[in-house]
Amino acid sequence: MSLLERYTQPAESQIPTVSHHGEIPSGQPTCTIEIDGQEVTAVVGEAILRAAQRAGFDVPTLCDDEKLAPAAACRMCLVEVEGFDRPLPACHLPVQPGMKVKATSDGLFKMRKQNLEYILSDHNAYCMPPCQIGCPTHIDIPGYLELMAKGQHVEAARLVKEVLPFPYALGLVCPRPCQEVCRRGLIEEEIAICQCHGYTGELVMEMEKAPTPFPQESATGKRVAVVGAGPAGMTCAYYSALKGHAVTVFDMMEKQGGMLRYGIPEYRLPKVKLDKELNSVWQLGAEFKGGMKLGRDFTIDDLFAQGYDAVFLGIGAWASNELRIPGEDLPGKIEAISYLRANASGEPVPVGKGSKVVVVGGGFTTFDCARSSRRLGADVTVVYRRSRKEMGAHYSEVDDAEHEGIRIEFFSAPVRIVEKNGRVGGVELQRMQLGEPDASGRRRPIPIPGSEYVIECDTVIPAIGQVPVLDWYDHAPGLRKSRRETIVTNAALMTDRPGVFSGGDCQMGTVTVIQAVAQGKLAAKAIDRYLNGADMARVAAEITEEESVPELIDIVPYKPEEPQVRMPFLPFEERMQSFELIESGYSKAAAEKEAARCLQCVCPDVGRCHLQRLSVEHGLTENRFHRAEPLDYHDYEYDLSHDFILRDLNKCINCTQCVRICRDVIGANCYGLMGVGYDSIVTTPWNVSLSYTDCVSCGACAETCPTGALMMRERELQTYELDITRCIYCGDCVEVCPHAALGETPNFELSTYQRFGATVLAKEELAVAGTWRPSETIPLNGQRSPVRPPEVRPPAPPRWGA
Amino acid sequence: MPASTSFRLLETEADGALERARSLSPDETIAVVERSGLRGRGGAGFPLAQKLRATRTAATLAGAAYVVANAYDADPDSPLSRTLLERKPDLVIDGLAIAAHVVGAEQCYLYLHPEATRARSCAEAALSRRIESLQEAGTRVAIALGPGGFMGGEESALLAVLENKRAMARQRPPWPAEQGIALRPTLVSSAETLAALPPIVRDGPEAFRVAGTAGSRGTKLVSVTGAVASPAVYEVAFGSTLGEVIQAAGGVTTALKGIHVGGPTGGILNATRTGVRLDYEELKAAGTHLGSGQVRAIPEGVCIVNEAARLFSYLARETCAICVPCRVGTKRVGGILESITSGLGRESDLPWLAELADHLNEFSLCGFGITSASIIRTTMSEFPDDYRTHIVEGRCPTGTCTPVRARRYETMAQP
Repeated sequence: MSLLERYTQPAESQIPTVSHHGEIPSGQPTCTIEIDGQEVTAVVGEAILRAAQRAGFDVPTLCDDEKLAPAAACRMCLVEVEGFDRPLPACHLPVQPGMKVKATSDGLFKMRKQNLEYILSDHNAYCMPPCQIGCPTHIDIPGYLELMAKGQHVEAARLVKEVLPFPYALGLVCPRPCQEVCRRGLIEEEIAICQCHGYTGELVMEMEKAPTPFPQESATGKRVAVVGAGPAGMTCAYYSALKGHAVTVFDMMEKQGGMLRYGIPEYRLPKVKLDKELNSVWQLGAEFKGGMKLGRDFTIDDLFAQGYDAVFLGIGAWASNELRIPGEDLPGKIEAISYLRANASGEPVPVGKGSKVVVVGGGFTTFDCARSSRRLGADVTVVYRRSRKEMGAHYSEVDDAEHEGIRIEFFSAPVRIVEKNGRVGGVELQRMQLGEPDASGRRRPIPIPGSEYVIECDTVIPAIGQVPVLDWYDHAPGLRKSRRETIVTNAALMTDRPGVFSGGDCQMGTVTVIQAVAQGKLAAKAIDRYLNGADMARVAAEITEEESVPELIDIVPYKPEEPQVRMPFLPFEERMQSFELIESGYSKAAAEKEAARCLQCVCPDVGRCHLQRLSVEHGLTENRFHRAEPLDYHDYEYDLSHDFILRDLNKCINCTQCVRICRDVIGANCYGLMGVGYDSIVTTPWNVSLSYTDCVSCGACAETCPTGALMMRERELQTYELDITRCIYCGDCVEVCPHAALGETPNFELSTYQRFGATVLAKEELAVAGTWRPSETIPLNGQRSPVRPPEVRPPAPPRWGA
Repeated sequence: MPASTSFRLLETEADGALERARSLSPDETIAVVERSGLRGRGGAGFPLAQKLRATRTAATLAGAAYVVANAYDADPDSPLSRTLLERKPDLVIDGLAIAAHVVGAEQCYLYLHPEATRARSCAEAALSRRIESLQEAGTRVAIALGPGGFMGGEESALLAVLENKRAMARQRPPWPAEQGIALRPTLVSSAETLAALPPIVRDGPEAFRVAGTAGSRGTKLVSVTGAVASPAVYEVAFGSTLGEVIQAAGGVTTALKGIHVGGPTGGILNATRTGVRLDYEELKAAGTHLGSGQVRAIPEGVCIVNEAARLFSYLARETCAICVPCRVGTKRVGGILESITSGLGRESDLPWLAELADHLNEFSLCGFGITSASIIRTTMSEFPDDYRTHIVEGRCPTGTCTPVRARRYETMAQP
């Protein structure tokens, strides 16, 4: 019997449906087949695909639903079967005893990938928004911007805090990888994404208790030690505490914040506000132990001996690289990190009015040193050996520095520090030119002989990168460090010693704050899995897969141009002598206006879409069929006319599942293929609105759709009217309501929903409601009897019982 | 001239064949057909005896069966069945009746193109002439009209049409012989194949066997088109060379560049390959297939890349759209070919096309997509200079191509 025939049999003679995740029901005639060399028990007559899925083989498919007759349309499940000269669809071929099937091979993988590339080449829709991919923490940016535009700022903050616990601080100091790729930037100015979440962060900071993304889980009894109260450590502490673990944060400094406090100057991030934001960690019950230095006051072994179950090392990178040129030991050369730390702690610094300072480098630290010195009244020159383009610091930082009166010497590298009266008197520099690109992709500077010149100064600050201080390494058995003096971990951020995790600057070398936060988040996830006894190799594999999310298509819809809402900045002249915060923050109206500029270039089906999942699994990160003539692609109108089902034909992949389910299971037969050839598309007869078909709004098509072409509409039903004079109490409405929104009362179907002036079931409750029963008591107006409008059915004696 | 002329389908009468068939047992008839070596004329060349046997076996189990004579002529330039029906409709009708007798079917369909009005009236006339003998044999023959278009002639799409559905291909196996119309065993055969049954059954297999080659027996109707003196449908014996087939149509009118064999999904051979013989295996080895039985003489001065692009744009309009490789693949391959003819070609397009041809061939659902790969493969192997001149020198080798697109496919990668 072929599979086609199975679906035309009368119900009583059909093979019972065998769920592909379940067990084979007893009494089924089974046989043994071989899939990829492994013996698999299968029900005679079922599809190979079903047997393979039950046995745990991951055969990709986009058009298969076990309720439906197979269509073999998507060509994803093709397998090689012994005895057939060409690959055949596993969804269509019934199992025969002794069959030998090859479900995975390089050839099949390549062909399936080609299929996906074809499908995506005509999938005229957004998938993941680029900002979310660009951000190392993958914040749901369109999501929180939409909430902000609606004025729901606390909700927006909670959404951000799902992956980024410190939206205010990052709003100020993040280098904004999200904004560089914003699709709005392709037509005009990008969205001020960071400044928007900065606003929500600032807003919720003033609340008595900071909102959390999820309710804190009950205490697990496990203890986590976090070493380092910087961005990575504090993030790890935040999410570990949310998971219910008891967290202690150790730090060598007296106060929290790490580089956020001691590295980033006040004018970029006010410490008072930083403390307020970091308090959200302590509100979850985490404990801070300042002045405790790893290696000096305790070792990793001590932590385990004290009963900690897991340790996270986020100790940052606190040692500045040396210039390695003559004269470096002269008084007047200052270490960048110590300088910033002293400045941030209010200690005296050897720079003041009239000082002549040369800062060497092109990164964030360089400009922090330079701009701080400028604020202290010094005359500052930055020297960098390459051009502006290669600088590590964000371009806005460089521009601002220049506007504040800092000179920048490009293509200059120091060769010697000149001595004058026993201390620094100047720096001898050599001009450079750019050669071939090096390993980092930046062009290698080559000295030009004879181009030496001297800049006079009294202070030199080399800021050419930092390395972690691993002086405790010899007392930490089981850990490994790289040649770059960083701690080596796997993808789950666990070191070679089980239970010891590491992230942030000390694991990656110096990186941006947002990368450190992203690692803290991942580490917290991995630690939680570790404490629950998960296989860490598997966790590492999962994290690697989750982190590689390709962007699949890039087409910008029209939206009227509207310039970015400008953040109010401190005027340049006022910055000279003041460490006051430069960005003074959005007002509520400005933040909402800016958030509303977001194109919302994201598919609501992201995360549930099978096409997306398979594309990710097949490593489809590029598509060779883009940007040709308009006739090569389809651009369909949306059908938003139906009350419950949204149709976006642009996302349809012609799998015909909706056609089959509507025709064969539901019986309404609303869909079919329309058009000829390449222009064929699954739609309603004559492409009319779904409302004009026999649609019964059951949602089966949306449920089975593998992509976002058919989706359930978010219900906005506020209230309904019941014409009591015409109701015949048949009870049909109660029975058919898919959400059990109508309930039987002693007066039969008279529903409780909003008929008595109170919201009885909220929308979210309605979706998951097990019964119709309201969560709030219905006001009875003092009556003792059950709810009943007085004009119908006078009270009658009970018909049974009593 | 063709190798043997002893058997001519178009000069045969059907008289007496049905009676002869009814005097034989079905198994005896199948044995006769097997000895004749008759293979399907629809393009795939499946031995008819095997198909008859499979259908008969399935029909014994299922209790009912159908026979369909596919006289659709999907390729508009190859009106073989129409010619046959207009000249010898009785052969087709009796062939249908014999097949129905063999497999045990009562209901037969003569499946026609909606525009084949003349063939239809000839068939109707023949049906009324034979109404008594058909009744006697217990066979009902109905004329069914397809939807028009190329895909309507595909074996499994035709089954969908007979079930009142859109002409969409269906995955095989199960073959129609096991599950065809309404999942009943169905013998689907081209009208030309069935028309060969009456002479074979009546006169024995030997006369038929004489014509043709060891693998491909008998004669074949071919539509010779293009740059020939008298383009029309001709009957040639299997084993005739392509040169002889073109000679049958009065020879060429101008110097040739290529010979396109097999209709819209067939490959294009170089004009020097006139020695290739009309034979299922030999055509396959040459990279093409018998297909719709069209042999088109392509004159000098035609750009083969443009020819391939034209074919793919036709296929992209005609695909039934059920499977991804065919629906999107034909469009994309056509797009790449068009960008080459528009002067936007790149060196990397050639390996890319070869890759896409493999995908079409391996992963398509029906013969439409599977065979269309031969266009890419043959044009690239037989006419490499046409591609090279377009891509390397940026000009058309014949100066005939005009740009049809301003933008080509570009790779877009994840940022």
